Amino acid sequence: MSILKIKNVHLKIENKPILKGISLSVNKGEIHAVMGPNGSGKSTLSYMLAGREGYELESGEVKFENKDITSFLPNERANAGLFLAFQYPVELPGVSSVNFLREAVNSRRKYLGKEEFNHLNFVKEVRKVADEMFVKDEMLKRSVNVGFSGGEKKRFEILQMALLQPVLSILDETDSGLDIDALKIVSHGVNKYKNNDNAIILITHYQRLLDYIVPDFVHILVDGEIKRSGGPELAKYVEKNGYAGIINAA
Amino acid sequence: MQHKPNEQFKSKLEKFVNDNFEDKFLRKNFLNRFNSWPSSKIESWKLSRLGKLSRKEISPLLPNESDFDKNIKFLKRSYSLVFYDGIYRESLSDKLPENIEISFFEIKELEEFLNKCGNQEILSHPTLNITASCAKNYLKIKIKKNFSLDLPLEIIQYGGDSKHSIHPLILVELEENSALNLIQLYKSSSALIAPLEIVKVGKNSNLEIVKIFDDSDYCHNLSLTIKIIEENSECKSFNLIKGGAFSRSENHVFLKGESSSVDLNGVYLSSDDQHHDLTSVIYHNVPNCRSSQKVRGVLNNNSSGVFQGKVVVEKNAQKSDAHQMSRVLLLSDKANSNSKPELEIYADDVICSHGATVGELDEDQIFYLLSRGLNKEKAQHIMIDAFLTEIIEDSINAIYLENIKNETILGFKKILET
Ligand SMILES: Nc1ncnc2c1ncn2[C@@H]1O[C@H](COP(=O)(O)OP(=O)(O)O)[C@@H](O)[C@H]1O
Ligand SMILES: [Mg+2]
Repeated sequence: MSILKIKNVHLKIENKPILKGISLSVNKGEIHAVMGPNGSGKSTLSYMLAGREGYELESGEVKFENKDITSFLPNERANAGLFLAFQYPVELPGVSSVNFLREAVNSRRKYLGKEEFNHLNFVKEVRKVADEMFVKDEMLKRSVNVGFSGGEKKRFEILQMALLQPVLSILDETDSGLDIDALKIVSHGVNKYKNNDNAIILITHYQRLLDYIVPDFVHILVDGEIKRSGGPELAKYVEKNGYAGIINAA
Repeated sequence: MQHKPNEQFKSKLEKFVNDNFEDKFLRKNFLNRFNSWPSSKIESWKLSRLGKLSRKEISPLLPNESDFDKNIKFLKRSYSLVFYDGIYRESLSDKLPENIEISFFEIKELEEFLNKCGNQEILSHPTLNITASCAKNYLKIKIKKNFSLDLPLEIIQYGGDSKHSIHPLILVELEENSALNLIQLYKSSSALIAPLEIVKVGKNSNLEIVKIFDDSDYCHNLSLTIKIIEENSECKSFNLIKGGAFSRSENHVFLKGESSSVDLNGVYLSSDDQHHDLTSVIYHNVPNCRSSQKVRGVLNNNSSGVFQGKVVVEKNAQKSDAHQMSRVLLLSDKANSNSKPELEIYADDVICSHGATVGELDEDQIFYLLSRGLNKEKAQHIMIDAFLTEIIEDSINAIYLENIKNETILGFKKILET
């Protein structure tokens, strides 16, 4: 069953074409890796999907669970089950992490017609999940992402994913800047969350992450276009030969 | 004869004083110092102009003597003193414990206080002069030596109408070794309210004041507070300005005793055509004192906000510690903020700092919140709340912290709606 269908998407930023005809189809239970050099448009693709202002498509189609979401606000997409783990998680000084998580989770629960958590119940819930994701209690008491190390920020993104139980998660370079131990923790979180009813788009430019999270499909995004798609072996090829071969071949 | 608007108010004041007070000759010492509203050429009124006020055809209100039956407490557990039309209403107020004394005082005591301040500048202030001449009575609230009031004291200002000015005058005195938490609420419906407040904090005492400005939307509030702080005492004050057409909270503080300190913090929340102003002058008269002014403003639509904070460190006031910081959030490109921190330092061994920032809500932060399912309104609430919470928690120790936070939330919800 289709979760996401992107058809021939074009997008310009400040009049400069950034995405130049992207198509991608993601079904339930699948993990797609999107790889590509810096500046190829990976984050732009993720912002476009999340509905960020200024990242509206110029032409093409985006369907999420068979609904055209191009006119949905970012919060409507999130509540419908689309999640973006940011490449650079944003610091929110003065906003307590627990309250932030509760607001997020309750927004989604409200959308799903489930009862919202009160503070006490939520703290119990978050403790349980945080423990599974190796997020320390003490981190939850701080302001969102403030004073978090690089690894803590990424773990906090994964914790949000685990709490929100999205249908589609887009992880934008969640692996970059992590050492092996942190990478293992994050991968553990992702694998634990993954099931046959949801899907993941893993944006990365290292093959390294794919040793821990095995993708069903790999797409190589270069200069705003998907130049090649294949199975996990494509990632290995890129690791050995770099993107140059693919760029030249195209 | 046709009067210019300014002169018109002056002649109404004169008539009011002549008609109503036996001690009119004493009152005229003040009245004679008021000729017209300060023009925008006067430095301290440049950023907060009184043109609109001078065009209002108003006269001082002869307070209605009958009392009103209203449930007008702000806190559930407090001692409340209610003012209506600028005068104290005993029948609407709570009975106070023995160690807190309410009385009337003479104009002479006000003059002595001003002499003690030893400052010429203040003598020309319009609020001082019109309110000292027009106040029906001068009320003193005294906290006796060695006494700490167990509950907050709240003073609420109601009444007035759109054709008149009202003139409450209050002296708050803390004798040695006493403590008080004071909340003042301005909820008048007058064209002009000109509250004059005199504060004396005796040695080893502790005063925390919260003022909430929430008058009617056509009201000018020209609040003036003059404080003398004695040795080893602390005065923390927090202003929440959200109502009125024009609300200015002006404080002049004289740190007269060593090891004393003052905090003059504030938040203004402004929208539509509102103008809000926090103005202060802090005099470090003696060594080893500390002062701090922290201001946060949130401005929407066409509103404007002003912070003018001046610190004067006198020559002998070594080891003074003075800080000022103003941060403003603009929610509209038509809103306008002015910060004017000023340091006038005559001593050489001091630590002083000041700074000011103006910005908008951060797009990355808002998008991060939206991407987690929160709607735009909620996202803005959260970021504004975060922007304001720190300073509120910093300014208030007393049990009513949560009440003040709620008042603040109501305030910024309102400016987001308009
Ligand atoms: N907000 C922006 N303003 C201007 N240019 C942008 C903006 N966002 C992305 N770009 C440009 O779009 C291109 C793709 O960027 P990005 O999507 O961040 O690449 P990647 O994530 O693959 O490294 C780059 O050339 C970048 O400079
Ligand atoms: Mg990127």
